[in-house]
Amino acid sequence: MRGELLTVIIVVGTALAFDFTNGFHDTANVVATSISTRAMPPRLAVGYASILNFVGAFISLQVAATVASDVVDPEAITPLIVFAGLIGAIAWNLITWYFGLPSSSSHALIGGVVGAMLVAQGPDSIFFETGIVGKVMVPALVAPILAFLVAGVSILLLYRIVGGLRPGPASGGFRGGQIISGGLLALAHGTNDAQKTMGVIALALVAYGSLPASDPSPPTWVVVSAATAIALGTYVGGWRIIRTMGSRIHKMDSAQGFAAQGAGAAVILASTHGGFPLSTTQTISGAVIGSGAAKRVSAVRWGVAGNIVMAWILTLPAAAGFGAVTYGITRLFGTGAAGPIVVSALILAGSAALFARRAQQGASVSAAEA
Amino acid sequence: MSVATVDWDALLTAVWASIVAGIGATTAFGIAILGGTRAVELRRDGRPLEAAVFGTIGALGAAVVIGAITFGLVILAQ
Repeated sequence: MRGELLTVIIVVGTALAFDFTNGFHDTANVVATSISTRAMPPRLAVGYASILNFVGAFISLQVAATVASDVVDPEAITPLIVFAGLIGAIAWNLITWYFGLPSSSSHALIGGVVGAMLVAQGPDSIFFETGIVGKVMVPALVAPILAFLVAGVSILLLYRIVGGLRPGPASGGFRGGQIISGGLLALAHGTNDAQKTMGVIALALVAYGSLPASDPSPPTWVVVSAATAIALGTYVGGWRIIRTMGSRIHKMDSAQGFAAQGAGAAVILASTHGGFPLSTTQTISGAVIGSGAAKRVSAVRWGVAGNIVMAWILTLPAAAGFGAVTYGITRLFGTGAAGPIVVSALILAGSAALFARRAQQGASVSAAEA
Repeated sequence: MSVATVDWDALLTAVWASIVAGIGATTAFGIAILGGTRAVELRRDGRPLEAAVFGTIGALGAAVVIGAITFGLVILAQ
């Protein structure tokens, strides 16, 4: 029992670390448009987003319920499976961060847990049709397309409405509007993404026997700790990905930034109400591309957009592969806490090596530019 | 695999809510900017009546934006 408790503690710590990396890797996308249109200075935008991420985590528990009970069979879950899924997702997040590729932390998390579950308990323990397809894959396809269309139609209407005005006051108004739309997007991210971590911790608590499988609602301490972790991750920031999302897809004006953020927030919040664990990265990417394409199709750098699409396609199977391999490695040490301790040490060492390499490359670039 | 595996009711609700909220709120904000900007310009040109009309349109646009955001968050929290 003591070994199992230690495993659950490691799982909770790992889940919160994942939540932190989610904020670090994913939420930066939320502030990219505000920064690129100069609606807010970078530090202020990141601080503002982190506070609203924290607040957003308290708004709803629909997505947490989906992750905890609709994707894999909560009766068949074990703390080791949850641990392996989380490590698989963290590994994928780190790799995509290192190469500067936007990915989906949400789909990485779900993919990791599904991969570990598949290896541990077989295909019958996965709710493939109703869960993976119905709650994850179909909404994952619909959301970015919907965000693309909403942002595109919005920007066309906005240009029609304010087209006769002098550019100065209109741009100033939209920059002010971006404070609202950017805040809503951060709130939407907090409510959808923090809930996935809550759902995963709830799964571990079900496996440990602290929560009933029939009603795995996360307790308050889980909600508060998940909100704090994602907010801290956001504050630390993922500047490399901000650059990709904010300016490399296309140069935006403040009206486009406002339309993209508004569309992204609307799609994520509406989907959260339906309990769909969306990818905020995919959704905001769709909205950013939509707002650019509606103005001028050639303004969008489709090569970068293509890279993002590739990351979308790869995330679920790649994270599932990492989750499955992690489960296999963890089981080499038995079913106790030894496996999670060894694997945690390995992933920490790997993360430190990647961060050091990235810092070294950054220093080399600065030296070359000087 | 069949289409019945997807909760179409929830998905379609999310789709129409996204369209109404996304396009509606951004359009209302555009109207608020139009009304506010034109009101300032017309007042500066000594046309207070027209300025008041545009000011009212701008205020209505802003009210729709605030109302839509509040309504959405209340629905979500429930």
